[in-house]
Amino acid sequence: MTPRVGWALAAAAALALPALTANTYYLYLACSIGLLTIVTAGLNVLAGFTGQISLGHAGFYALGAYAAGLAATRLAAPRWAAAIAAVLVAAVLGAAVASAALRVSGPYLAMVTIAFGIIVEHVLVEWVSVTGGPGGIFNIPKLSVGGSYWLIAAVAAVALWLTANLRGSAWGRAMLAVKSSEVAAESLGLSAYFIRITAFTISAALAGLAGALFTFLNGYISPDSFTLQTSIVFLLALLFGGLGSLAGPLVGATALTVLPELLTGLADYRLILYGSLLLISIYWLPAGVVGAIAGRGRARTAPADIAADSVAAVEPAAAGAGAPPASEPGALLGIERIGVSFGGVVALTEVTLSVPSRHIVAVIGPNGAGKTTLLNLITGYYRPDSGEIRLGGEAITGLPPYAIARRGVARTFQTAQPFDDLTVVDNVMVGVAGPRLGGLAGALLGLPGRRRRERELRRRAQAWLAMLGLAARAEEPAASLPAGLRRSLEIARALATQPRLLLLDEPAAGLAPIEIETLDRRLTALREQAGPAIVLVEHHMELVMAISDRIAVLDYGRVIASGSPAAVRENPAVIEAYLGVPA
Amino acid sequence: MYGLVALGYHITWATSRTMNFSQGHAVMVGAVVAWAVVVALGWPLAVGLLVTLLALAAFGIVVERVAVRPFFRTASPAWLLSTIACGIIAENVAQLLFGKDARAFPSALTQRPILVGGAGFYPQELMVPVVGLTLMVLVQVFYHRTPYGRQLKAVAWNAEAAGLMGIHIERAVMAAYALSAVLAGVAGVLLAPLLNVAPTMGTIIGLKAFAVAIIGGLGSAPGIVVAGLGYGVLEAFVAGYVSTGAREIVGFALVIAVLVARPWGLLGQPPARRV
Repeated sequence: MTPRVGWALAAAAALALPALTANTYYLYLACSIGLLTIVTAGLNVLAGFTGQISLGHAGFYALGAYAAGLAATRLAAPRWAAAIAAVLVAAVLGAAVASAALRVSGPYLAMVTIAFGIIVEHVLVEWVSVTGGPGGIFNIPKLSVGGSYWLIAAVAAVALWLTANLRGSAWGRAMLAVKSSEVAAESLGLSAYFIRITAFTISAALAGLAGALFTFLNGYISPDSFTLQTSIVFLLALLFGGLGSLAGPLVGATALTVLPELLTGLADYRLILYGSLLLISIYWLPAGVVGAIAGRGRARTAPADIAADSVAAVEPAAAGAGAPPASEPGALLGIERIGVSFGGVVALTEVTLSVPSRHIVAVIGPNGAGKTTLLNLITGYYRPDSGEIRLGGEAITGLPPYAIARRGVARTFQTAQPFDDLTVVDNVMVGVAGPRLGGLAGALLGLPGRRRRERELRRRAQAWLAMLGLAARAEEPAASLPAGLRRSLEIARALATQPRLLLLDEPAAGLAPIEIETLDRRLTALREQAGPAIVLVEHHMELVMAISDRIAVLDYGRVIASGSPAAVRENPAVIEAYLGVPA
Repeated sequence: MYGLVALGYHITWATSRTMNFSQGHAVMVGAVVAWAVVVALGWPLAVGLLVTLLALAAFGIVVERVAVRPFFRTASPAWLLSTIACGIIAENVAQLLFGKDARAFPSALTQRPILVGGAGFYPQELMVPVVGLTLMVLVQVFYHRTPYGRQLKAVAWNAEAAGLMGIHIERAVMAAYALSAVLAGVAGVLLAPLLNVAPTMGTIIGLKAFAVAIIGGLGSAPGIVVAGLGYGVLEAFVAGYVSTGAREIVGFALVIAVLVARPWGLLGQPPARRV
């Protein structure tokens, strides 16, 4: 079943249902499916795209429901205004909770969201004058079940459509990038914190909207509907349907609404049912029901032979991807006597190094000399204890990684970190876009301007892929690339940000000799095309000697020599450090 | 009391970087089993206690096998959800066997209140902190003074290296889960006469204990003990002067505040960032 057929069937079923039955019980059930779909579509943006789990979304659902209920009863507001109020309240509180909660992740985030949900639940019970206490609010003007059905179905369809648009936009890619590797995403100028707050806010707003619709459907709300168990069911529906997949929310919502109704005779076993479904989802359906079906379909239709990859097509395409920024006079990167120590172990002391524009400076030294630490200091992942780092004359010491990346510093990692959840070309598109994600509204609505920009981003990403010899594998998932190509992809992604300074951490490690030769040619070509200045941390001496303008040698955290390749080769201190004999 | 349950989170976290989110349900299982054996079957208290603790160790081991081992040291928080799943299944099973209603757990120590300056309390209420603190001290001694405790610490520090040194990692993690469930079970038995026994008693206790563990610092046993006492006192104050509902609101707001200001807990160490 292709996705298109699946969506068409779902839409047909939704349209046909009222004609098939006038039974309000079935319509009510369908409404419940719709509501759950809206919440889980939002939760999918948070959990499926950015990888953060919330166990407190019943809180936002409740906020939306109560905001709408209060607006409709106390203020006698029309329904559309009440719904807007609900969305606003949930979104504003969502942003506030997110900016506090997302400073932590994993089990801590789970705790904060649980705590939020419980606080909301208890405020609803305690604040009797406003919320009506345990009894809740009733006599809310309600819609007929039939009317509700059309409204909820339409909103659910829109919610799914919005998340689909988001998934295909620069925002969606940035979210998936943050989920795959927060460290690598920040190296491209993305603030993981900001992107997660955005995702959290979107999910809170959708939960609030669903809450408002819930109020109009029932005409009565009480705290009982918004407990921790409700939050767990939200998450369960998403996991069961398929985390991160676009159809997952709809499938999960349907299953989680219909199954308990089919098993009404077993009402006492409901928690066991939920628990088992949760375990089943985690054990056997890591991509949910949708993922399982889609996976099988893909296996059947996969082409027998994957196009032979074109390592041969390595000649760098003329860098049509835009001219690199003009060089500045003086050193581009200036490192002044920086030092850092970790728990008493001195990693670097008094390191001074400067990198002029368009030069290739290699940093070599024995294992543990502090080479990678130096890169982590330059890119902001570590904070130096002393000294200063300047980029183009501006002090960048102590800035967060994404801020340094935005100033034109790109890097690769010792262990390549491509975004495994994205395709190869999407990886590079994250780099091309960098922090320029465009308007969020445009991304959600899929506006025409946005689409043009997408094509432009893709075209430029393809050019970088062609240059790194990855054009033939553009549409493959990054996770399927072998180690050597993962490194190439990382270089393409870093270059795509059009950096002034590129830091490469052992790009030749684990490459075959022929691949190293290619790397050599590419780096030389980059320099000839007036590309970025490069700091190269590398053990492969042939490569280092061949392409470097200058070499700095680190040993035990100090620079023991620096100069032209020839001078360094003859330096007695270097020979001693490498061979352990006094020369 | 919260400290005791919270210590269970610390033990599994320290050993395996995973936590049993059904810890609160372990408290409930402890109370229910003790009730079944002592009240329903009328066995002597000592035997009942032994049976209860064995049952809890088994519960901890089952949770570890079913919900934690498959996801051990994977990046995904799957263990978080799977232990929750174990907890709600346990709650449902208890409901089916035990019934939905709360039942009293009579204890000799809750018959006559002791009156001190107008305020009355039961000897049982004294038992809780006394036994709790004793157990915490024992756990600390076990960790720092016995070879087996040191093995668990080694696994926490670096599982791979510990494995190379001949420590059976999976067994160590399993032991940590059993131990943490037993601690929760002791808390359950101590609380049963005070709170009455009900299958739904677990969730909120587990959450509060988790809150305490986070406030104190997941990696810091002394922090958790202090936070446990502090949290209990705070709750009593808020419940006494404001309202019982405000108790939960203030308590969980405190957790959020602590996480924002010091995500590693009041007495924990900030973790080093690794790239």
